[in-house]
Amino acid sequence: MTRFDATRTIVEIAGDAAIVSSLGHPTYDLFAAGDRERNFYTWGSMGLASSIGLGLAIARPDVRVFVVDGDGSLLMNLGSLATIGLLRPANLVLVVMDNEEYATTGGQKTPTATGADLAAAAQAMRIESAVTVRTEDELLGVAWPFQGRDRGAESPAPPGPLMIVAKVTESAPTAKPPLDYIAIKQRFMAAIGNAEC
Amino acid sequence: MVPWASGVCSGVHAAGSRDVVYVPDNPLSHVLRDFEARFRDVRLILAMREEEAFGIAAGLYLGGRKPTVMLQSSGLGNSLNAITSLLLPYRIPVLIVVSMRGDEAEWNRAQEPMGRAVRSIFDAIAVSHVTVEAADAVAGVIRTTGVNAFETRLPAACLLSRRLTSPTVV
Repeated sequence: MTRFDATRTIVEIAGDAAIVSSLGHPTYDLFAAGDRERNFYTWGSMGLASSIGLGLAIARPDVRVFVVDGDGSLLMNLGSLATIGLLRPANLVLVVMDNEEYATTGGQKTPTATGADLAAAAQAMRIESAVTVRTEDELLGVAWPFQGRDRGAESPAPPGPLMIVAKVTESAPTAKPPLDYIAIKQRFMAAIGNAEC
Repeated sequence: MVPWASGVCSGVHAAGSRDVVYVPDNPLSHVLRDFEARFRDVRLILAMREEEAFGIAAGLYLGGRKPTVMLQSSGLGNSLNAITSLLLPYRIPVLIVVSMRGDEAEWNRAQEPMGRAVRSIFDAIAVSHVTVEAADAVAGVIRTTGVNAFETRLPAACLLSRRLTSPTVV
């Protein structure tokens, strides 16, 4: 499964959910997989995508929030797992695209290449629903209860946040979102009903 | 009840902020207790590190809230990438309340370099800041700082001096 394949699957599952992406390749792939009003693309603040998603999930418990993070990015902010495990927002889905390298900066290996286990770290921080997937079928199987368009009472979604570590291979990004930060923000906020103006 | 700490809480509340993300600090413990005692509608959110606190605050803002971040001045160094590459380019406002170390009567030299640099750093990244030294001014200054931040959609900081927060030491 390439990172782009996994990103496209997440966009399909997300429906009308919000998606926050980490800078670099995750942001580029999210734009290429499906530019949508409810995408919040970060262009900086490496490591903070999960924190932004957490704040959004707390502020808007009625909105399903997906985060598309990277292994290197999450490793910069591992404390975020403890905070998510403390607050446990049930509407948060943290997807870590684990390609075992800092692909955006030239492919230097991350600790996950030699066995560091981010799902185990999340479980240790009380994110019990933390799983590692290696194929699109596995990804679909884990994520489908969180479909943005299907939030009914019958949804079998677990009572806390979900973290998916998707083992992916690197796929060269094909497009980038515009660099108009304020437009990205205002389009996103308006789409989820928090218009600034 | 500690008057300056009550002032912080009243000011944050009057600025319309109901979400306070914080990294603990000794003087700020008085503020946290006052929030819990007098403002039960304020959500207190613990962060593991200051940069993370600003990330959470940004998400809260995207979700329609008016966030406050409370931290010790030493933690400003941990926060700069979040402030400069997230809050500023995206125009995401946060009311920043800084408990100062390294100013008057600091006993720990390790706190001095960052304490001395805080105002210069805010100036260098063009984040407006104001320092409060009198307990009876705290509420008004924080309210004004917060209202201005949220109206202009820019972060703004209120620095609580040690003269204010640790008068028995100073």
